[in-house]
Amino acid sequence: MTNEEVVFLAREAGLLIDPAYLQGVAHNLGVLAEQMALLFDPPLDPLVEPAPAFRA
Amino acid sequence: MTTLTAAREGLLITATAHAVREGRRSAVALIEARLDRIERLDPALNCFTEVLAERALREAAAIDAMVAAGRDPGPLAGIPFGVKDNYDVAGRVTAAGSIVNRSRAPASADAILVQRLNRAGAVLVGTQNMDEFAYGFTTENAHYGATRNPHDTLRSAGGSSGGSAAAVAAGLCDFALGTDTNGSIRVPASFCSLFGIKPTFGRLPRTGTFPFVHDLDHLGGFARSVADLALVYDTVQGYAQGDIACSDRPPAPVSPRLDQPFSGRVGLLGGWFDDLADQQGRDAAAQAATALGGSDTAVLPGAARARAAAFILTCASGGNLHFAQLRERAGDFDPATRDRLLAGTLLPANAVLQAQRERERFREEVSELFECYDVLLAPATPCSAPLLGQPTIRIGGKDLPTRPNIGLLTQPLSFVGLPIVAVPICNGTLPIAVQIIAPPWREDIAVRAAATLERAGVAQSLEVPM
Repeated sequence: MTNEEVVFLAREAGLLIDPAYLQGVAHNLGVLAEQMALLFDPPLDPLVEPAPAFRA
Repeated sequence: MTTLTAAREGLLITATAHAVREGRRSAVALIEARLDRIERLDPALNCFTEVLAERALREAAAIDAMVAAGRDPGPLAGIPFGVKDNYDVAGRVTAAGSIVNRSRAPASADAILVQRLNRAGAVLVGTQNMDEFAYGFTTENAHYGATRNPHDTLRSAGGSSGGSAAAVAAGLCDFALGTDTNGSIRVPASFCSLFGIKPTFGRLPRTGTFPFVHDLDHLGGFARSVADLALVYDTVQGYAQGDIACSDRPPAPVSPRLDQPFSGRVGLLGGWFDDLADQQGRDAAAQAATALGGSDTAVLPGAARARAAAFILTCASGGNLHFAQLRERAGDFDPATRDRLLAGTLLPANAVLQAQRERERFREEVSELFECYDVLLAPATPCSAPLLGQPTIRIGGKDLPTRPNIGLLTQPLSFVGLPIVAVPICNGTLPIAVQIIAPPWREDIAVRAAATLERAGVAQSLEVPM
């Protein structure tokens, strides 16, 4: 992810990130993207849900 | 450098408290001795963010006065303990390892767990160093410095509850409370040769502690024997208001059955937990399994995905929690924390929702495995303590960044809130620990298995002769 892309995403999120931090943030987004990829391959069964369950 | 066990040296909390309760030992003298030790050793170790000498001496004097008056101060009479810097202490700002929090108001009361320990006679001697906002595994804090491992001061004490673990290991206090979101009790227990407990999510009330990830934060503690750990854990159990996730189950004391040998079914976790451990960790887990009568290898195929999901939820939740401060004063954060939290604020909702669904899927997978086993075993860390500042550790044949990867073996398990006891195994130059993982709400099984390993001489907390 480029610094420009980070700036764009941050603006959408309501953040103004100091240019000095952009590289570090971009690096961490790259690490997160690697982890995200693991979650989508293979996809979860559509019936798997995160709703809280109440049991007596 | 490490030689003696706490039990062999007669340093057990129960014995010390008994002597105080009978008036054979002065609580004030005990606290003075620990304060002296802190003054002598802490400048090199950097375990404490604040030493509460005045408060500790006042409380100790009150305990001695109770004994003199013929009253019982409680099962932890005069025992010095510390808490991680994210526990409230009345009149003190709960910094949680940050400078950002310094602008908050001082706590109006002690954290609930501190109150319960005080009522049992324990004496708080100070607050202890941590990774900023508990986001790390090494206790290398840009504001408060790094905590050094008493077993080798060039190495990390682990994190994020590193100050608490190092203080107990160095004998600066007799037990300590920490927090564990992704491994922050089990990792320091491993590096500092301590017993550590992270109970079931919702077991202990977090009232009066500063959060990191609300749906992953657990409180727990460190001690140098299983009996001590069990006593402390039993003392702090029970529902309290102020923590919406705290269960209203009645306390389930684990101390009464400690002497009963463990005789359950044992599964040694393979796959992820074997592939990403080094030989010392693998040997330690196998040694524990053999001592508990287990020979099966159990596998959780979803562990990699669970870890990924925990990683994402942690980053997103941390970013969400600190969003306002990140917007206003990002420069006041520890750089190692700041960039990860900022990244967390930018994660797509799609990833966060997928991670939440993944948790439910992994919970089912774990539940199925517990139909076959009473406890599961796995190394607590991929290796023993790395050097402070060490950029990478070698895991599974690859050099991976140290700080985010020390929790590879702890993260998938806390993600689904399981109760876990970390037990120190002495099988190398440096300590390492094994996780004893039990089904939800069955801390008793994990603690009993830990006691069995301790009695067999397999698990021991090594004392540092300082």
